[in-house]
Amino acid sequence: MSLGVAVFLVMAIVIVLSAWGVVVARNPVRSALSLVINFFTLALLYFGMHFDLLGISQILVYTGLIMMLFLFCILLLNLGAPDTLFEPSLFKRSIAWFTGGVLVLAVASQVIGPLAVADAGPSAPQGFGEAGSVGKALFTGWVYAFEIASVLLLVGIVGSILLAKRRD
Amino acid sequence: MEFITTSHAEHAPDPVFHWAWLILLAPIAGFLFQAALGKRIELALGRGAGRKLLGFAAVLPVLAGFVVSVLLAVRLAGMDEHSRLVITSWFPWIDLQSLLVPFELRIDPLSLTMCLIVTGVGSLIHIYATGYMADDRDYPRFFTYFNLFIAFMLMLVMGNNLPLVFIGWEGVGLCSYLLIGYWYQDIENAKAANKAFIVNRIGDWGFALGIFLLYWVYASNQDLLPLGERRYLSFDVILPLAEQVLAGYGPLVVSAIPLLLFVGAVGKSAQWPLYLWLPDAMAGPTPVSALIHAATMVTAGVYLVARTHVFFELSTLSMAVVAGIGAFTALFAATVAFGQTDIKKVLAYSTVSQLGYMFLACGVGAFGAGMFHVTTHAFFKALLFLGSGAVIAAMAHNQDLRNYGNLRKYIPITYWTMLIAWLAIAGIPPFAGFWSKDEILAGAFFSNLIQTPQILWLIGWVTAFLTAGYMTRMMMLTFYGNEERWRTAGAHAHTTHSHEHSHAAHGAHDQHDPAYFLSEEEVSALEDEEHEHHHDLTPEHEPREVVPSMWLPLAALAVLSLVGGAALSGLNPFAHLLGWHLPHLFEAWNHPSVGLSVLDEASAFRESAAIEWALIGASIGAAVLGIGLFARRYIKGLPKSEVEPQGLQRLAGEQWLYDKTMVRLFVDTGGKFANAFYRIFDSGIIDGIFVNGSAKLVGAMGLLLRRSQTGSVRFYALVIAIGVAVALSYVIYITTR
Amino acid sequence: MEGVPLYAYILLSALMFAIGTAGVIIKRNPIIIFMCIELMLNAANLSFLAFAKYHTAPLATTPLEAWNVHMTGQMAVVFVMAVAAAEVAVGLGIIMAIFRMRHGVDIDEMSSMRG
Repeated sequence: MSLGVAVFLVMAIVIVLSAWGVVVARNPVRSALSLVINFFTLALLYFGMHFDLLGISQILVYTGLIMMLFLFCILLLNLGAPDTLFEPSLFKRSIAWFTGGVLVLAVASQVIGPLAVADAGPSAPQGFGEAGSVGKALFTGWVYAFEIASVLLLVGIVGSILLAKRRD
Repeated sequence: MEFITTSHAEHAPDPVFHWAWLILLAPIAGFLFQAALGKRIELALGRGAGRKLLGFAAVLPVLAGFVVSVLLAVRLAGMDEHSRLVITSWFPWIDLQSLLVPFELRIDPLSLTMCLIVTGVGSLIHIYATGYMADDRDYPRFFTYFNLFIAFMLMLVMGNNLPLVFIGWEGVGLCSYLLIGYWYQDIENAKAANKAFIVNRIGDWGFALGIFLLYWVYASNQDLLPLGERRYLSFDVILPLAEQVLAGYGPLVVSAIPLLLFVGAVGKSAQWPLYLWLPDAMAGPTPVSALIHAATMVTAGVYLVARTHVFFELSTLSMAVVAGIGAFTALFAATVAFGQTDIKKVLAYSTVSQLGYMFLACGVGAFGAGMFHVTTHAFFKALLFLGSGAVIAAMAHNQDLRNYGNLRKYIPITYWTMLIAWLAIAGIPPFAGFWSKDEILAGAFFSNLIQTPQILWLIGWVTAFLTAGYMTRMMMLTFYGNEERWRTAGAHAHTTHSHEHSHAAHGAHDQHDPAYFLSEEEVSALEDEEHEHHHDLTPEHEPREVVPSMWLPLAALAVLSLVGGAALSGLNPFAHLLGWHLPHLFEAWNHPSVGLSVLDEASAFRESAAIEWALIGASIGAAVLGIGLFARRYIKGLPKSEVEPQGLQRLAGEQWLYDKTMVRLFVDTGGKFANAFYRIFDSGIIDGIFVNGSAKLVGAMGLLLRRSQTGSVRFYALVIAIGVAVALSYVIYITTR
Repeated sequence: MEGVPLYAYILLSALMFAIGTAGVIIKRNPIIIFMCIELMLNAANLSFLAFAKYHTAPLATTPLEAWNVHMTGQMAVVFVMAVAAAEVAVGLGIIMAIFRMRHGVDIDEMSSMRG
């Protein structure tokens, strides 16, 4: 087992456990913190895959911005009390987990065989995850999508302001 | 506007033929003028002056059409016989990849003959109508319809392709409907109009199927047509190639084409079994009866048969059917005429009978003779109708023959003109009817198209005798006898009160409130009119001769009825029997369109002058016999049996119960069937099962499905997740199997 | 991290996705449900990046095309992030509005669309 594989395994375990924690935690604040750990480890994984810019974006956008919003929301609405909002039925919980398990098994049955050939190593060229490369791509081939995304964000801002505004 | 005109002649046709469009467009312009401005002019200029102007404007386009028709006829007559065909095309009307229907007119002897009749007789009747309708409430409406009718009729006879003819065909049907129901306030008139329209649909159904069949036949034989020719329905394309194209088809198709066209002709020309509408059509004003239901529209069927005669000649069966139906109708209607007491009804059945004569001529191959009879019949039957209109006007709109008598003393002009028409229709030489009728009878006798055509001749001969008989009855009861029966007999005056009587002012009385539809001036005008017009047929009634605008057309038609036949036939058959070398003008003119008369082909005729003398003698004899016998019976006045007809005469009056049977069989039974169909199929199956049933089914399913709409987001997510899991598993299962 | 096979990433992604799905189904707190959705989005992002890194483009003929193939996955992730940000902003706004209206955020009580 090479060092790379060992590091990956560690990270993967952390990621899965923290995701699990999001779901099983009774207290929403704990869920949020688990999610922070999950996103942060995911960012580290991206760095390990040489996606430098996206790793940083992951930290900034998810761990920073989105988690902040969640925490604000939890605190504002005083949703921190545990136990109140949990599915009481064991049957439904079982079905949910079973369905999730089926999905994982279905994917696993398809990828383990064929995609093992990629073991030889990634074929990506040097420097493809750097800010320069991504920026270049973003402002050349994907510039329309980029502009549309900016419009989407603008609409999102307007919409959230409208929702947050108190109607008298 | 650019017209493309072509002809068979080597050099380009004379541009004068472009004037043909004027014949068609002038009545259309007249129609638009009357429709758009008629009422306003009447209001602006006042009743008297306004109506003078409107009447003038109504007659003018028809008269212009007549002048142009004469001009074109002269020009066409000057051309070589075989190049007497000019087609002038305006614009492509229907332009598909597999069909081209241009808006094109055909100018040939046949269409010009019809044009001359329509515009010539038509303008005389228009002039008459300006007098007859002078006191009517809706003067402009009448002439709107009248001019529109002329336009459609001209399109019918001048159109060079079947779709154009069909437009004209339906258009004249529409105008006929509008004019029969002209005094629409009387429900009987509206019913008669509906009857005419509906019965004609049966015929038009056949005509339309015939057109489709022709299209199918010609479009699937493109290789026989000139290269690139897409006008599969134009006469100049289909008629010359009929024999070649139909050679590849069995007797079914070859007979179906003419028979389907003939179904259309039967409807339009009121032949048995579809003649039912024509007697009822007499509900319209008398000029309408004269123009549409005697002289022009009802001859459209004969025109159609003559126009497409090549198809008929290819199928002996269809010829036999045409001749048989024609002969039977002629005889049948002639017998029915004896039972009629309404002067217009007598003439209506007479028209049906004479139309049967024309079809008899067509059926034995004498298309020229048929068209000749169309022409002479237009003269004398229009005259008879207009004369009857004059009688009716003089008799305070009472139409019952039993109330007339000795009228020759009071209305001499009408009497003398109708006398000529009577002798003409009876077939007394030298009046017009003799020449054409004799030609038809000779054609029937010598026909080589069917076996023993002499039976047809015999039927024709009996019909000729009966024709002379019932016309004599009508004339005698109207003009002769010393008793002036309206002075004594009050009984019938109200029993058979005419529909016409309740028109206009009187009709408005039936409304609960006449002012509901009319403006104030109109109501006051109405009251004046009523005051002046309201006189019933009282014992003190004094019949008065009609105004000049009415008797002048009578006189003109009388001249035509007197000399028209003799002049057009060139005194044939006498002329060539006596070796005078006078040309048969009508045949010489028309034969490029309708072929030579059967007489010229029948060798027996050439060899045996004796037989022909005998035939002429027989036909004159029938006329004289009919007149003589029935004059004796009716000259003294009304026989007792006529007051309340009994026995056979009564049966004849009821059309040998044909109308009743038909009504019971088709209208009543059909109504019951339709009602049952409505209850079972329409409200039961369509509404019950399909419409409401499907709605109920969807509703029930909705009730079931709405339970799945819990409104819980988590439940939806669960369902989606399960669905994805199942679908994914299934896809993996079938791909890895 | 040399030597890690592609399927390892994909399996990791699938696990995250499944956990997120289960969370959406069993949690009643809308905020946690939102978090689970973010979890699922991140699982998708991980798949995108793994393929972007490992995927060789057999049909790419020029170096530029090959380069674009590697870029496409990253572009998708960029846009997923943008959409996620917008979605969270609006979604949390909606939750705030509902809370203000009903003084409670149990998702099982938000069933006014029941048929």
